[in-house]
Amino acid sequence: MPKVENVPEYFVEAHNLSKIYSSGKIEVAALRDINLAVKEGTFCGITGTSGSGKSTLMNLLGGLDTPTSGSIKVQGKVISELNSDELALYRRFEVGMIFQSFNLIASYSAMENVAFPLLFADVPKAERTRRAEELLEKVGLLARKNHRPSELSGGEQQRVAIARALINNPKLLLADEPTGNLDSKTSLQIVQTLSDLNKNHGLTIIMISHEEDLLNEFADDIIHLRDGKFVDNKEF
Amino acid sequence: MRFTDYIETSFSNLWKMKLRTFLTTFGVVIGIGALVSMFAFGKGVQKNITDTFNELGLLNYISVYPRSNRYRSPTIPDDPDAPGYVPPVENKSEKARLLDEDFVKELSSLEGVEAAFPEIRFPAMVRFDDKENFEMVQALPAKICNSGFLKLREGSFYNSDDEYSILISDSLLRRMGIKDMKSVIGKKVEISTMAFDVSIESIPNIISFLQGKGLPFTSKNYRFTISGVIELMGMSGPIPMRTNILIPSGISEKMKKIQITSISDIFQSITQPKGYSMVGIKLKDPKHIDSVKKWVEDAGFRTFTLIDQLQEIKTAFIFMDLFLFAVGMIAITVASLGIINTLVMSILERYREIGIMKAVGASSADVKKIFLFEAGLIGFLGGVLGLVLGWIVSTIINFIANQILIRQGVPHMSYFSFPLWLCFGSIIFSILISLLAGIYPTIRASRVDPVVALRHD
Repeated sequence: MPKVENVPEYFVEAHNLSKIYSSGKIEVAALRDINLAVKEGTFCGITGTSGSGKSTLMNLLGGLDTPTSGSIKVQGKVISELNSDELALYRRFEVGMIFQSFNLIASYSAMENVAFPLLFADVPKAERTRRAEELLEKVGLLARKNHRPSELSGGEQQRVAIARALINNPKLLLADEPTGNLDSKTSLQIVQTLSDLNKNHGLTIIMISHEEDLLNEFADDIIHLRDGKFVDNKEF
Repeated sequence: MRFTDYIETSFSNLWKMKLRTFLTTFGVVIGIGALVSMFAFGKGVQKNITDTFNELGLLNYISVYPRSNRYRSPTIPDDPDAPGYVPPVENKSEKARLLDEDFVKELSSLEGVEAAFPEIRFPAMVRFDDKENFEMVQALPAKICNSGFLKLREGSFYNSDDEYSILISDSLLRRMGIKDMKSVIGKKVEISTMAFDVSIESIPNIISFLQGKGLPFTSKNYRFTISGVIELMGMSGPIPMRTNILIPSGISEKMKKIQITSISDIFQSITQPKGYSMVGIKLKDPKHIDSVKKWVEDAGFRTFTLIDQLQEIKTAFIFMDLFLFAVGMIAITVASLGIINTLVMSILERYREIGIMKAVGASSADVKKIFLFEAGLIGFLGGVLGLVLGWIVSTIINFIANQILIRQGVPHMSYFSFPLWLCFGSIIFSILISLLAGIYPTIRASRVDPVVALRHD
């Protein structure tokens, strides 16, 4: 097992990470003593059966949840020790997330969805609109900026979600089964988009998928999770 | 988030659930409307009373009474040389002096006193246009006529205290069957006074009285010119009392008459009283009331001011306000339960949205503020519309009340008052109550776990 904790060049580090859910007297360990190290600019794939703890790991890395034990460092900052307001800032500026179910706000237009995170960053409205249009153009959806999510296809919705994740220029993008609700052709397009962002803009991407073919094609490396543990402890 | 963003976000969120927003806001509207119209009613009634007092100058008025009756027994002659004369008992400890002309003059020269005048009322027979009426006649100094006590309908007030002029009320003229009030100006009126006369010349009268043949009165006739017609209003001390006939006080002093300002006078004024039973003081400004009152009381007299009574009335108003406030608060409480319900429902519906907010970087405080702004906005809309509703309802009630009361002879009045503080206060109050109602839902919203919310389908 590599000694990850003392190596500074890693962009994302997790050390002895555990997450235990307890309901009443029953305790369920979603993650057990995970060690993870991802270098800057890597496209990292994580795969595993359902219930293997993939999403839990993603929520911890994204600052949506806090670990039961262990630590997480992103860009040298220990995010597992941040309080809730600091975590909000971390989510706002340093990490973008996309999800299997897109998680767009149904009553907002594509553009409003993309601009939404800027609302909490105190950005004036004109500037919000400008940046949202810029990103929609980047994902090829500027023409559909006034459409609601229900008027967009699954692939289009996921691209809106990608644009939203990137609106505050984070260096890390976490993708939780981004192709889970998409057909294979669209899936390919989405992962291609992510790969382009990774290669052309130096974005570090951690993507969960159970489609190993896709990961094999685009990811720099793949790790397998089973029952909250890595099957193959590798260094990236 | 910026302030304008909060407002825009809350507006669009409330607009998304129009019906629920409308129903919730309507609850607030009714609550605030009830509160506003009740307050407006309370204030309107108070305003009517204090305005009437002010208009009549009643707050500028002090009545002075002797501390004890210093009238002398009618059997004791006035003349010190007459047999049976007893000198008046001087009670030094009371340092009371006579409520007489000298005292009135002294009062008139006090700082802040516009006029001091004895309150004189006497019964007399009024003859006009071949008709006779038995009336109470009040002597009122010319200075006082013009100071808001009286409302002139026709003609003018008398200008001096020494002219034989008279003011007559419109109701007395109506009773006499005279419709054209203008026509009586300048006409003559005869007033017959009655006086007990115990002088030597009236001995035959007294003898016939003792024999059961008439009364020991002498009657004197005086002729006056009508200078003005007044609306029925007179004064007896600070209490408005109907007087149909007013004459200048200078003339009154020259007349032989029985003076009556209180029932006891009837029994005590058989001889000429040694002092007035009541003196009225009209102040230039109510601010002098305390100093003048103190001076008068130090001189050994009792005083009566309406301003003291008004304080008691005001205390009663506080209780009325509290009662109305309690009724209004019930409506407000129901409305705030509506707000809580709406916001809690809204949070359940927007559970996932709250998760998304947090995932993209909203802090708990951001989420709280978004929902508090929605509550505040409901409060603001409810407050403004409630004020409008309260005003409309008040106007309708006022209209109906006046329609009914005018038929009963009550003059047109505004029973509701909307001072500026009530208008702004009700809106601010509505917002505050709504924010208060928003606290619990807001805390619930901020506690939403994004991990759970994003899994939520």
